Amino acid sequence: MLVEAFVLPKADLGSFVEKLKAGYEVIGPVANDPEFVFAPIDSAADLRLDYDTTILPPHKKYLAPPKETLMTFSGPATKTGEPAPAGKQVLFGMHACDVNGMLSLDKVFLGTYPDPYYKARRENTAIVGLNCTEPCANGFCSSFNTGPGMDTGFDLSLTDIGDKYVVCVGSETGKALAAGLAPAADADRIAKSKALRASQEKIERHIDIDNLGEFMHQNVDNPVWAELKERCLACGSCTNVCPTCFCFAVKDQVDLTLVAGERPRDWDSCQYLEFSRVAMDHIFRPDRAARIKQRLYHKLTYFAQQFDGSPGCVGCGRCATYCIVAIDPVEVMADLRDNPGEEKAVKLYTPPDKKVTPETSPWEPLPAKITAIKQQNYDNKTYTFSFVDPAVQEKYTYGNGVFNEISVFGIGEVPISISSCADVKGAFDHTIRAVGNVTKALDKLQVGDIVGVRGPYGVGWPVEKMKGKNVLVVVGGVGLAPLLGTIKYIANHRDQFGALEILYGARSPKDMLFTDEFEDLRKIPNTRLLLCVDDCLGMEWGHNIGVVTTLFDKMSSKPDNSIMITCGPDIMMRFAVKGMLALGWSPEQIYVSLERRMSCGIKKCGNCQIGPIFVCQDGPVFKLADIQGLPEAAL
Amino acid sequence: MVNPKVAFFKFSSCAGCLLNVINIEPVLLTVLSVIDIEYFVMAKRDNHHGPYTIGFVEGAVTTPKEVLELKKIREECAIVVAMGTCAVTGGVPSIKNFSGMNQDQLTKTVYAENIYDPFLASIPAKGIDHYVKVDAYLRGCSYDLGEFVELIKRALKGEDPMFRPHSVCNECKLKENVCLLVSKGQPCMGSVSAAGCGALCPSLNRQCEGCRGPANDCNAASLAKTFMEDLGLSKDDVVRKFRKYAGNTPEFSKGAEAAL
Repeated sequence: MLVEAFVLPKADLGSFVEKLKAGYEVIGPVANDPEFVFAPIDSAADLRLDYDTTILPPHKKYLAPPKETLMTFSGPATKTGEPAPAGKQVLFGMHACDVNGMLSLDKVFLGTYPDPYYKARRENTAIVGLNCTEPCANGFCSSFNTGPGMDTGFDLSLTDIGDKYVVCVGSETGKALAAGLAPAADADRIAKSKALRASQEKIERHIDIDNLGEFMHQNVDNPVWAELKERCLACGSCTNVCPTCFCFAVKDQVDLTLVAGERPRDWDSCQYLEFSRVAMDHIFRPDRAARIKQRLYHKLTYFAQQFDGSPGCVGCGRCATYCIVAIDPVEVMADLRDNPGEEKAVKLYTPPDKKVTPETSPWEPLPAKITAIKQQNYDNKTYTFSFVDPAVQEKYTYGNGVFNEISVFGIGEVPISISSCADVKGAFDHTIRAVGNVTKALDKLQVGDIVGVRGPYGVGWPVEKMKGKNVLVVVGGVGLAPLLGTIKYIANHRDQFGALEILYGARSPKDMLFTDEFEDLRKIPNTRLLLCVDDCLGMEWGHNIGVVTTLFDKMSSKPDNSIMITCGPDIMMRFAVKGMLALGWSPEQIYVSLERRMSCGIKKCGNCQIGPIFVCQDGPVFKLADIQGLPEAAL
Repeated sequence: MVNPKVAFFKFSSCAGCLLNVINIEPVLLTVLSVIDIEYFVMAKRDNHHGPYTIGFVEGAVTTPKEVLELKKIREECAIVVAMGTCAVTGGVPSIKNFSGMNQDQLTKTVYAENIYDPFLASIPAKGIDHYVKVDAYLRGCSYDLGEFVELIKRALKGEDPMFRPHSVCNECKLKENVCLLVSKGQPCMGSVSAAGCGALCPSLNRQCEGCRGPANDCNAASLAKTFMEDLGLSKDDVVRKFRKYAGNTPEFSKGAEAAL
């Protein structure tokens, strides 16, 4: 069907903008000498529709702003409000790259667990696009078919054909905004097509997208990355100016009452060392080369894998423009194509297909009361929680191995696995070690205190697949917490599973969790519990000494008709998996939990990404076969 | 509830960071309602001995006597905060560490001849964590008042303030400032310097001088190369830039060494 089109004589632009202003705040490109930015305008005279690019992408600035308050609070679990919804605005003169960047961000913020703040702004925002009849210096949009003209994502799009604009309609809203304009003649439409074709032909910068995902995966170890590491300043400008970068950090702010305040989110960047920092100062991506790679891989392949094939790079050229040391994806890709790594078969990760749309805001923690606290060992406690609202508790169910976000307003949120069994109704347990700001705050709480809880999130242990099979559980240290519920589930439904064998290792006897439940575990029919410690610290210890893999000699589990599930420190899991594979177990029967890196829990903040994986939603439990050999997975 | 006792101390520095404390006018009275300032020679007549809950320390350590005083402060304060760049990295006083002169030559250069006073006995200027454990840092010459108040709040709550050691470029880009380096060819150090200042200088059209020291895992050597090869700065200029505020840090040392 022919797109509905009108013409807007340039002389009438002023009155057109005035009409828009009656219903919207009009935000458009203005001069910020010698560059340009999007800002609210008073009249069309402020507009600089000849702009090449802007420092920040307009949709990111006005739909997911650099800092925004999610909610305010007056106590540890007392929410007092949310910011008022945004008023109606029109982004006037957005280029095709940014319109496409916005469509990609829509997938992030409006996909699973829709973000209410982004959604409210998005619904109140009209888009008047501006097709590029003159390409910008650093753009390479035509490589991704995200420019110079736009096909979708706009309410209206303008194309300069000399003394007038051709105005194409992209939505009902757009049609209403175009009311009163004269229809475009065939000649106008032809002039538009010609102008855009000419513009496209002028674009000299290109990325070869042939087999791009596979090509990137074949070049993880290309020497190009080590060279880039020497140049990159780690300043993070590239991610700030990127139209599809969305990562953010949430950190509570309190006023001087120390209890009331707000929970804001701020843009963050994978280029910063501390982006991958978790409690106990562990940093997952310490190497700058790995961080540079993370950005470019995310742009060129992971994003499309994660978000329905949407482009992670729209070729706007901003990262190249604002990079002090001129790191330019076009040049990097040309270097890689000139010196490619070995062509080998690679498997591209595909996340589980699911979309969760909760009834309430996914950001809102609901009050839950601590009903019991049990000291597990010198640095771990098990807290039993129950939602304050019985109706919420009644509806609350979870799978074994999944997690909740526990919130203490004024300090923050922390993702913690559920250590009780999914069979338990009316309450749920979390076993927590006080290592970070939030867990230290939890450590001070008493029975009867109230915190916020949201969840459950993630994919847990494959209990259904384990039915009818022997189960081997290999655990290190506090890794028993997310596994205990599953062990109890097997005990509760004993006839549905084969033999159960648990290998549990810890640094020392005093580092072990749930020691007073060991006798109960041993009493489960057809079950073995083997223990070991790295060092018994001179304590009486009738079990193995050594790392958990030293128990492999003693275990009776065999690969046939079995599933192994494992959780523990990265290094322990790495060796456990290696050991199991050597014993003839297949990656199809090994499941691992990678839960440590998570932050928001709802596939929004970007912190938990390991290569193309979002640990919080694709996992935290993964089948080894699904993640083996992926960049960064290290298993 | 008894308010925590707070003390302010000063070593070799300009006293600007202490003066800056008094600049928190909009929240001064509220802050004073949650802490008791027990020791602050610049601001009050009636000062008391420790122990204190929080000790803010301004200035670099440049004499053996200061080392002893600092160790006493550490014993008296539950939380020690390095306040301002001199206390954090050695700051401007640390420029002397790179003068190429020994201590005797330095003394003779700076002071009139024939003066010998043990008071002048000087050692290389260092940040206070060279000598004692430091619990928190307020970077900057001078530090950001928002961070000062934030640090008090976090200390009262017993939390790590976790200031984000991102680059100044981060805050500068979010303000959509025109890039002084890319667009104007000025040798701005924002890309390798720690933010928290709100990109104060670039927002006022002045280059970042790196007063807050290095951003996390910054690549000063690469920036030094850019300064020389693309912007035409002399070797000496580049070395001076990286040794102005934080020459003692391994990160900025790499910038200076790349130029040498």
